Amino acid sequence: MSFLMFLNTDLLVATVRLSTPITLAALGATVCERAGVVNIAMEGIMIIGAFFAAVTAFYTGNPWLGLASGVLAGGIYSLIHAAAAISLHLDHVVSGAVLNILAFGITRYLMVLFFGHPGTSDAIPSFLGDYQFAVPLLSKIPVLGPVFFNQTPIIYISFILVIFLAWFLKHTRTGLHIRAAGEHPLALETIGVSVYKIKYLAVFISGLASGLAGAYLSIENNVSFTEGMTNGKGFIALAAMISGGWSAAGSFLSALFFGFADALQIRFQVFRIFHVPEELFIIFPYAATIIAVAGFVRRSRPPKADGVDFIIEKENE
Amino acid sequence: MKKGIRLAVLIIAAAMMLSVASCKKEEKKAEEKKLLASMATDVGGLGDKSFNDGANQGLELVKEKLGADVKVVESKQQTDYVPNLIGLAEDGSDIVFAVGFLMEQAVKEAAKNNPDTKFAGIDIWAGDGDPSNFMGILYKEHESGYLAGVVAGMMTKEYASASPKFNDKNVVGVVLGMFIPPVEKFEVGFIQGVKSVNPDCKVLSVTTGSFVDQAKGKEAALAMIEQGADIVFQVAGLTGLGVIQACKEKGVAAIGVDVDQSAVAPDTVLTSAVKQIPRTVYLAVEAVKNNTFTGGTKVYGIEDDATGISPFHEFESVVPQAVKDKVAQVTADMKAGKIKIETTRAALGM
Repeated sequence: MSFLMFLNTDLLVATVRLSTPITLAALGATVCERAGVVNIAMEGIMIIGAFFAAVTAFYTGNPWLGLASGVLAGGIYSLIHAAAAISLHLDHVVSGAVLNILAFGITRYLMVLFFGHPGTSDAIPSFLGDYQFAVPLLSKIPVLGPVFFNQTPIIYISFILVIFLAWFLKHTRTGLHIRAAGEHPLALETIGVSVYKIKYLAVFISGLASGLAGAYLSIENNVSFTEGMTNGKGFIALAAMISGGWSAAGSFLSALFFGFADALQIRFQVFRIFHVPEELFIIFPYAATIIAVAGFVRRSRPPKADGVDFIIEKENE
Repeated sequence: MKKGIRLAVLIIAAAMMLSVASCKKEEKKAEEKKLLASMATDVGGLGDKSFNDGANQGLELVKEKLGADVKVVESKQQTDYVPNLIGLAEDGSDIVFAVGFLMEQAVKEAAKNNPDTKFAGIDIWAGDGDPSNFMGILYKEHESGYLAGVVAGMMTKEYASASPKFNDKNVVGVVLGMFIPPVEKFEVGFIQGVKSVNPDCKVLSVTTGSFVDQAKGKEAALAMIEQGADIVFQVAGLTGLGVIQACKEKGVAAIGVDVDQSAVAPDTVLTSAVKQIPRTVYLAVEAVKNNTFTGGTKVYGIEDDATGISPFHEFESVVPQAVKDKVAQVTADMKAGKIKIETTRAALGM
């Protein structure tokens, strides 16, 4: 038995599983902030997405409908943030904080409404974890094959989203508009593009992504919704986005790093490698978060107009 | 938006009126002055399928058998504890239950400030300096853990051939929520139980630090299963649902906690290490009714039928008679005080 026997493929597979919700939420946040809207509400949007995914999957028996409903619920819920931050010019951080708190209240209330009790929902009849599939050939690659090509649906979606959004932000007209809205909204408005519309779109996309992250937790990784099941993952996603330099690929790599830290600490405990209080293991991913943000953030730059209120004054109206 | 809020307020108001109305009806039936027993949950709240629900079931029992009125308030955050407890006392409760180790400071403060009301704390210790109107209710979780450990220790090695769920690696695991005394007692009891019948067995242990994070519970269990664990004991509240899910997916067995969790996954949950919170809540209220309530700590264990393991349900035919006999014998020995079980990791040298 070697000291480093926990460094195996299983560790990397666990890393991907643990990082997926963080990746998805961080991707959404990246789009949102590139459009100049600060978003700290991923935690709340995730919990909404997780809840509606579970409810729909429970009542229809179809996890794919659950997936769609979780994503959509996240998108719709995020529009509250859009309305508050863009149209009503509320401070973005305040609006995000409100959304986080509100989500816990709403889901608690709806739990009683739909399931007759708070806490945890009844188990859904069938879940997306059943749809794990190996990509032919690619999954045979040593080490990386099982890690990236023998996974469950939402994990595949997250990989595709990373590539798509990286391309989308750089090479499409809408992507460029989104970035312009975050860097120099006035210039964008001057060429005749509605900054408000672009910002709304970006917030909505971020809501869809966070909703998907929530659905992953309740109907793919597990089979029920539990109040508070996000357990801070939305905030880690925020850190992943920042240390990933407000880019899709960077967010993905940071999220993988946090997932890795968590998978590693679990194995430290299983193998009893260090005889220290477990609190030290538990804080390990969070400490890694702080170090990563403190270490990398100097080199990453937020969009210039991130969080800056944009008001168009129209005369003669 | 405003309309929605108004509607919600109306619905809530209507619901409250209905509940008040139903209380009134019952009151008319009873002639003597009714006892009021109430409880404040900890942040886990109702629906935790664990101690908050257990205490609530106790109050249901009280309502049914003693004809008392009951009242439950839920705490959303730790700062709610003191106002909730004092509020219940001021509402005229004869006894107020605080549920969970995390409410210790709050309930003792409330008891001090409301000397005319009785208070009781589930999983809370009452020391010398504590007010006489406060009763701490503790359980010998290590006894339940020990019995679960005996079952796990025998099934993972000696009787591993009884079901394809078990392997020949001789490894079992425990997943913990937060590392607090009741959780620790379950764990160290389990370890001793396993070792008592299977000294070579390797017991893995992971603390997740949360009672609500299913994803983390699942990963912890998966990491153990990768290392050959074929029975995983969860002492992690709702985090434990992820543990049971992992065991189900990987085709190994799980052991539930606090209440009989067989219903979560009947083909996976071998048994559960239970504590009978409802019964002890009932006993405390009964003591108030009979004017026999005293302060101090009451520790419930196997001699009160407050600890133990649940039936095997679907595993009834899998678990051999020899294991059932051993469980019965260990239970009898425990009741006779023949088995000494440590309650802390430190005592085990961990």
